[in-house]
Amino acid sequence: MLEPRIRELLTRARDDARKRGVSAEFNLHREKSSLIRLGNSSVALATHEELTRLDISVQDGRKVGSFSLTADVTADQLKNALGHAEENCRAALPKDYEPIFGTVEEPVDDSAGFDPELESLSPEAKTGLCAAVIKAVKPKGAYDFSGSWSTGSTEMYYITTANDNEAFRKLTDGRLVLVLKEQQKKWELSVERTQKAAGAFTAGDIIAEFESLLPVYEGAEGFRTAVGRQRVLFGAQAVAELLGLAVWGGFIGRLYEEKRSYTAGMKPGDKLFADAVTITDDPENRDVFGMPFDFSGKRRRRFTLVENGVLRGLLYDTMAAAKYGRKPTGHDLGNDDFVLAPGRGEPGLDAGCKLAGDALYIPHLHYIHLPDPTKGLFTGSSRFNALRLQGGRFTAPLFSTRVTDTSPSVFGNVVALSSKNVPVNTSSTYARRSPTAVSVPEWLLCDNVRITDVADSF
Amino acid sequence: MTATPEKIAGVVRPQLERLLAEGGSFGDARFYAEDANQRLMLYDGNLESNTRTDEQGIGVRVLWHGAWGFAATADLDAIPACFDRALANARAAAQLPGFPKDMGPARPSKGEYVAPVEKDPFDVPLADKLAFLKGLDEQLKGEGIAQRVVSARFQRRRIHYWNTEGTEVSRRVMNTFATMMVMAPDKDGRTQRRSVELNSDGAGTRGWEWLADENCFAGHAERIKQDLAAILAAEPLPPGRRDLIILPGQGFLQVHETIGHALELDRILGYELSFAGGSHVRPEMIGKLRYGSDKLNCRAGVTANSPGTFGYDDEGTPQRDYYLIKEGILVNVLSSRTDLGEANARAGREVVKESGTAARACAFYRTPIDRMTNINIDAGPDGTLDDIVRATEDGIIVDTPVSWSIGSNREHFHFGTEIAWEVKDGKRGRVFKNTTYQGHTLEFWNSLDKVGDESTWKLQSVPNCGKGEPNQIMELGHGIPVMRFKNVQTGEKE
Repeated sequence: MLEPRIRELLTRARDDARKRGVSAEFNLHREKSSLIRLGNSSVALATHEELTRLDISVQDGRKVGSFSLTADVTADQLKNALGHAEENCRAALPKDYEPIFGTVEEPVDDSAGFDPELESLSPEAKTGLCAAVIKAVKPKGAYDFSGSWSTGSTEMYYITTANDNEAFRKLTDGRLVLVLKEQQKKWELSVERTQKAAGAFTAGDIIAEFESLLPVYEGAEGFRTAVGRQRVLFGAQAVAELLGLAVWGGFIGRLYEEKRSYTAGMKPGDKLFADAVTITDDPENRDVFGMPFDFSGKRRRRFTLVENGVLRGLLYDTMAAAKYGRKPTGHDLGNDDFVLAPGRGEPGLDAGCKLAGDALYIPHLHYIHLPDPTKGLFTGSSRFNALRLQGGRFTAPLFSTRVTDTSPSVFGNVVALSSKNVPVNTSSTYARRSPTAVSVPEWLLCDNVRITDVADSF
Repeated sequence: MTATPEKIAGVVRPQLERLLAEGGSFGDARFYAEDANQRLMLYDGNLESNTRTDEQGIGVRVLWHGAWGFAATADLDAIPACFDRALANARAAAQLPGFPKDMGPARPSKGEYVAPVEKDPFDVPLADKLAFLKGLDEQLKGEGIAQRVVSARFQRRRIHYWNTEGTEVSRRVMNTFATMMVMAPDKDGRTQRRSVELNSDGAGTRGWEWLADENCFAGHAERIKQDLAAILAAEPLPPGRRDLIILPGQGFLQVHETIGHALELDRILGYELSFAGGSHVRPEMIGKLRYGSDKLNCRAGVTANSPGTFGYDDEGTPQRDYYLIKEGILVNVLSSRTDLGEANARAGREVVKESGTAARACAFYRTPIDRMTNINIDAGPDGTLDDIVRATEDGIIVDTPVSWSIGSNREHFHFGTEIAWEVKDGKRGRVFKNTTYQGHTLEFWNSLDKVGDESTWKLQSVPNCGKGEPNQIMELGHGIPVMRFKNVQTGEKE
């Protein structure tokens, strides 16, 4: 549970607000974050931040106001913050619908994902592992390593004046990305790891992965593929990107209601994707970080979006639910736990390649954007580790290749999915630490993927 | 601790001396006495964002044997411990050394920057702000309009900076951002939209009075409704190669993505590879690379009314105005002090002489990195928009981004825009919808053949540029004239 001093301050503030007839939600976020940043095969920067953020939202009928504070929270600061939130609420314009006030449905005290060893993983330890990789991986020519390794702990605590329940979560997470760049040809290889606890991977794992990728890059020139529709074997990171786009463009309740999603006009039970596609938001999946509650206090449980290609459910936060008369689904948060269910394909990348035959292997998609969400149209380009497949074998690295297609088309043209899922860390460190991962098949084979541009470089 | 800057300075100065005594080669501290943000957003008339955020704290950097350590805390009683942590981090980083980081010659400065403001938005009562936004929302209502968005964001910062060279500067920064947007489905079921951002000619002040200026914001409400009606009635842009006339509302993002990011020195040196990406530019290309046609003059400017103007950067260096690209040739890059030696060593000659005053951090708890400031294109000799249209046989005019996707080394791009107007035989004609264009950066900028005059130049604010690890959102500006590019791939082929 949360540190007693802060917990007492917050519960007392909640109780005082309740006595005064004020409806208030308190959301505390604490993080300890450390990161090393590598460039030119060296550690260029090591950082450490300890931050406490408090969000207070006050609701009075149809009026809502909020105030956030980043500071070491004291009783006076808390009182002032609540006062500001109340002022903002008083001055607010009333909504034309009844907003849903947050209520912690059931008490949550979850520290199962906390590893003190990972929380305190030193920059020296991180530097040591990276140094071992840099020492062992020796490509031909001029090259250097860059990357980052972020680790830390996060505490999230949510209470409201609606009842005495408390929702608390404490967890640790980490993400390592190492990039190997060849200076003349300018190809870039990447190895990425996500972790919930210390010791989740070793330098040996990372060295082996780099060494498996190197021969084709060193042995062949870059390949400029043709514009047009092609067979593509997507790797896990790219599958995670595609999954995120599919969910964002098709399953956000508000966009659906406003007919701005590619599922607009459809209803649960309608066929949407290929039979092989099942998508859930599953906080109990072992690959994801598993957020047990959302920031309206709803207990999060497995929620099905697509089952065997059939539309089953849409995601409603409290705002969209209130406005459109729906039930909230536990999605007042940014860190969902999406899972693309494994398929029937043989596990292992080799099996995926063999099945693909002649194809493009695109394991990462860079800078994806949605020119038209109502059609699910996205565009993005290949990045690290992209290769040409001929006869099921990697024969050449791919020059930067742009994919412009739609989510319904990609997930409608699935040929096969690996039967083995892997975690992909999708956390960002914009604003507050918010560990997020998805679980996806390690490969997805898709036909008729639209290639719209190819560069002359990687 | 009661956090007056004087009291914090009293704690920081001896800590900086201690850093040097313990073997650090450089150290600095940034104290945010105030970092306030207010965000207001009406969506279909409902106040969906009504929040204020206040942050206060200190960030400390230490350079130790050529490696950086950083630490930050909001606990102002723990500043000495924060220095300890930053020093320990630097020592750990120095265990895997590379090209040693170096601040170059010391140039201590003292001073204060105060952003030009007539009326502090934080002094305007919330009820008055909401009444203003609600008034705009009412103006946006109309037949066929499905969704309306009106938003404003106000930012006020008081930042104090000290370093081991004796630099002590303070800044009072004020920024105002605002957006209006209308949306509706077209006959194909695709949502179309038209929007406008608070903009200016680069002069004037940065407070409430800017937002209240009809010419800069509110006066555009009727226009975007009319544009949306035209878009809804329009046909999709037929694919093909044609001349592309870019208005400042789109040109700012073209410059941002394919010049600004590509010229950040940390990207060029590979320090952003694992997240934001690299650059097609290499250090040895500085001073030699033909980036664009002779018509391209791009500078890191000091523009009075812009979120990219801040007086001193986050290394305490006075902001300066300099060319990045002169008559098409790449002559400089966006830099801080720390990587100049490495850039010059890699180039084998001196390619960057002094800091580009681009060291910027988004908060006390983030370390400065190379960021855009005001990346402006100089106005050109080719007259007004009408003059450029008259000189165009077959082209389109595009405005306002819908989507943007750029190659990881900024070598190629794909943009979607809200609206396009056909240009045939020197006349602006029908509106097109679903407009996209794509190209390769150097080829594209070398096809620049018309640059509009001062009458076409506008300052566009960017409130949300993302970069860095840990990630940072930065505010900046782009002053852009109308530009024409020859023979660009437009529309989507299938």
